[in-house]
Amino acid sequence: MTNDEKKLLDDLHAYADGSLAEPERLALEEQMRTDHEFRRQAGQYLQLIDTLRKAGERNRLKSFLDLAHTDVAPLAHKRTFTLPGANRNVKLWPAIAAAASVVVVSIVGTFIMTQSVKEKQSQEFRALGRVVEQIRKSQKAIMEDIADVKKTEIPSANYAGTGFLVSSNGFLVTSSHVVRGADSVFVENKKFGRLKAEVVTADVTNDIAVLKIIEPFRAPTLPFTIRKTEADLGEQIFTLGFPREDIVYGEGSISAATGYKQNASSYQVAVPVNPGNSGGPLLNHQGEVVGMISGIQTETIAAAFAVKSPVILDAINLVPLDSIKKAPTLPFQNKMKGLSRVQQIKKMQDYVFVVRVYNQSK
Amino acid sequence: MDYVDELILGQLRRKNERALSELYKAHYPMVARMVIENNGTEDEAKDIYQETVIAFYERIQDSKFVLTCRIPTYLYAVAWRLWLKRLSARKKFSLKVHETEEFLQVAHEMASIEDDAKRIELMNESLRELGEPCGSIITDFYIHALTMEQIRSKFGYTNTDNAKNQKYKCLQRLKKIFFDHYKEKL
Repeated sequence: MTNDEKKLLDDLHAYADGSLAEPERLALEEQMRTDHEFRRQAGQYLQLIDTLRKAGERNRLKSFLDLAHTDVAPLAHKRTFTLPGANRNVKLWPAIAAAASVVVVSIVGTFIMTQSVKEKQSQEFRALGRVVEQIRKSQKAIMEDIADVKKTEIPSANYAGTGFLVSSNGFLVTSSHVVRGADSVFVENKKFGRLKAEVVTADVTNDIAVLKIIEPFRAPTLPFTIRKTEADLGEQIFTLGFPREDIVYGEGSISAATGYKQNASSYQVAVPVNPGNSGGPLLNHQGEVVGMISGIQTETIAAAFAVKSPVILDAINLVPLDSIKKAPTLPFQNKMKGLSRVQQIKKMQDYVFVVRVYNQSK
Repeated sequence: MDYVDELILGQLRRKNERALSELYKAHYPMVARMVIENNGTEDEAKDIYQETVIAFYERIQDSKFVLTCRIPTYLYAVAWRLWLKRLSARKKFSLKVHETEEFLQVAHEMASIEDDAKRIELMNESLRELGEPCGSIITDFYIHALTMEQIRSKFGYTNTDNAKNQKYKCLQRLKKIFFDHYKEKL
C-alpha cells in the first residue's frame, strides 16, 4: 500500500467525520467529480465507514433496548388464549390505549423531573405542566394490571397546571397537555375552594383544553375580557399561575408574533415561567386576556410561548353542547381597565385556578 | 402527530435515551400482541419490535424526516410490514392482523428500512468473516473511536506505524469482503 493510498484513507475518514480541512475537502470533492474510478473507490470506502458506524450504533442500541426489555411488563397472552377469540381484542385494546396514554404522560413527566434535578440535557421545548408525584410507579402498576398478573391498589399520579375561568357558569381553559390522559380533574383556588371539573374539549394542536366545573357553580361576572385580536409586539403583559402551591405573578412583554417553530397561533413571550405555569392567563395592561402560557424553549433563555387569545376564543366557541350544558357566556365587560396592577391582580386571582389531574386506572 | 408526540420526537432527536427506553416500553405490548396473534413467539415479537424502534430512531435523526402520523401508528405499521415479510419467507399465512390504514409514508420507507437492516447484517457478517485481530482493530478505531496509540498498546504493536499499517490492510480486506457479499445479496 502506497503512502498516497494511506493518506487517502485518512482523508476519507476525516471527510466522513466532517473534520477534513477546507482545502483538502475541496480537492477531494473535485477529484471525485472528475475521476470516475477514484469516485467509485472513494465512494466504497465512505460507504464502508458509514455502514460500520451504523452497525456499531445499531448494535449498541440493540443491547440498550435489551436492557429496557427486562423492564417490560409480562404479556397477558397466555391467559387470554383461553378466552374466546372474538372478545379478546375488544377487551384488551382500550386498556392498552389507556396505558399508553398514561405512559406518554410519564415520558413527558420524566423529562421535567430530570430537568429540574440536573440541567444536563438541553431541551428544545418543554411543556409547563408540573409533575407532582412520580408517575412511573403507577405506570408499572397499570402495565401489570393489563397483564392481569395481580390486582393491586394503584397509586394515583398527579399532574398540575394552571387554568382560568372564561365564563361565570363554570367554563375554564387550560393547556391540553396539562389534562392529557386525565381520569379526573379538579380545579382549586382560594376563593372557590376545590371543585370537580371535566374536560369538555381538547384541541391538541393548539394546546388548549376547555374544562367545565361539574358541581353547582356560579361566579360573579368576570372582570376581564378576552381580546378578539392579536396582541402587538412589545405589548406589556403579565401572568398569574401556579408553578407552586401559591399563586405567582410574572410580568414581561410580547417578544414575537409567532411561537415555537413559527407557529402562527401562538406568541413568544418574555415572562418568567416555570413548570405549572401552563394554562395561565396572559393579560395586557388593560386587563384583557391576550393569551395563555403553553410551553418554553429551553435553548433560548426566557423564550416562553403562549397561545393567542383569538385561538382560545375559537376553541371555546367550538365547545359541543347538549341539553344539560349551557353554553359558555363569555365576559364582555372589562372592569380592570385603568386599575393599578395590584388592583388588577387582586381582581384577577379569584378566577385563576390550579388544575390538578389524576391519572388513575380502574 | 400531536403535541405530546412532538415533545417525544424532540427528545429522541436530542438522543435522550431515557425517552427511547420509555417509548420502547410503552408500545411493546401493542406490537407483541400483533406478532403473537399471528403465529409468532414472544422472542420473534421482541426481535421485530427492536428492529422497528431502531429504524424509527435512526430515521428521525435525519432533520428532513417528517412524521405524518402518530408515533404508535408508525411503529405498528412498520412492525406489521416487517412481520408480514418474515411470515411470507416462511410461507405461513393465516393472518389475524388488525386492519390498519395503509400509511403511505411507511409504504414508501419500507424498502429503505429493510435495506438498512440488510446492509448492517451484512457488515456484521463481514466483520466476523474478517476475523481477529482485524475485526477488533476496525471496530475499535471506527466505532469505539479509540486512538491509534490505544490500539497499539491494546494489540501489542511495537509502534503506532505498525498498528496503522495493520489497520489499513484490515480496512482494505473488509472492503473486499463486504462489497463481494453486497453484490451477491443486494
